[in-house]
Amino acid sequence: MPKIPVSKLETGMKLSKPVTAKSGMVMLGEGTELTATWIERIQDMGVTNIFVEGPPIQTISKEEAMDNLNTRFSHVEGKPYMNVIKKIVREHIEGLYEQY
Amino acid sequence: MSNIDPKVLRHKVENINTLPTVPGVLKRLSAVIENPRITLVEISAFISNDPALTTKVLKMVNSAIYGFPGRIASVSHATMLLGLNIIKGLLLGVSVFELMQKAMSGLYEHSLACAIASRVIAQKKGLKEPEEVSVAGLLHDIGKVILTLSFPTEYQAAMNEAQGKNISIFDAEKNQFNATHANVGSWLAEKWHFPRNLIEVIECHHRPALAKNAPMETAIVHMADLLVRARGFGFAGEIFVPEVNAIAYELLNLSESDIKDVLREMEDNMESAEDIS
Repeated sequence: MPKIPVSKLETGMKLSKPVTAKSGMVMLGEGTELTATWIERIQDMGVTNIFVEGPPIQTISKEEAMDNLNTRFSHVEGKPYMNVIKKIVREHIEGLYEQY
Repeated sequence: MSNIDPKVLRHKVENINTLPTVPGVLKRLSAVIENPRITLVEISAFISNDPALTTKVLKMVNSAIYGFPGRIASVSHATMLLGLNIIKGLLLGVSVFELMQKAMSGLYEHSLACAIASRVIAQKKGLKEPEEVSVAGLLHDIGKVILTLSFPTEYQAAMNEAQGKNISIFDAEKNQFNATHANVGSWLAEKWHFPRNLIEVIECHHRPALAKNAPMETAIVHMADLLVRARGFGFAGEIFVPEVNAIAYELLNLSESDIKDVLREMEDNMESAEDIS
């Protein structure tokens, strides 16, 4: 469910969350398929980012994510339970890259 | 080594209101919260009188941190649903968000993610009031904000020391202040008449085995804090994951799939939660 800037919207994308006005009033409901008109209206509303359906976008490569994970755990390698926790978190992060 | 007298430190923390760097909303809020006889109606009126605060509170109660089904559109509805203790904590949370970000870039994401993780674990453990635990998760590092406000130079030194010597911010604070953000946060929570359990969670989230009244809640926030760091959301003073407390880990007794669920919920909700500020 990525959040993307309004300038990157394309027709055919579907909203995964409603677009609301500042007051909280729903302007376009969840699941709405974007047409050129809707995109124009959204741009005129002054919102900066909106949620569309699709896999989350990872900002760093998988290798980088794994390196960062190893660094974060570098002080606790081999400590009780930490290897279990690390394994679960590693599998979780790997999972983020498999949805494409 | 530290040359700050603990008594002076505590006095300064408890009188945080007098600092010029504290924003007006927080000063007004503390005047309201410090009153032990405050009623739900008065709190509700206080929030409603401040449009910016109203928006923040409504965004927060409608966010993934609480996970209420449906939309809560009014402040009075929100206060009725959450109750006095939770609304007090939440008000503090939303009013210090900007300060959090100034105090430590990333502390805000860290706290939000921790609130979400705390709620999910609390639900898994069948706690009666998961919202209370989620507020504890949101506020567990409040002491860091208070320390930055009261002692900006010294706290910067502690942050530099943590980074330079590769030690935890918790230990660096001890060197610098003879006290930690956990102590500082709990002093303020006490002064503000927060519920006993919440005070204890803030005080003991690094040493959950010391919790006497709320060992489960404390263990939950301890674990949530650790999982947020393990996943790498936000920043809370150092990049390293601390060692889990074995007693807390065994008390929680989370299965592998429980932990995966917590991570997944954090993942799904963090992007939308960042909109709250």
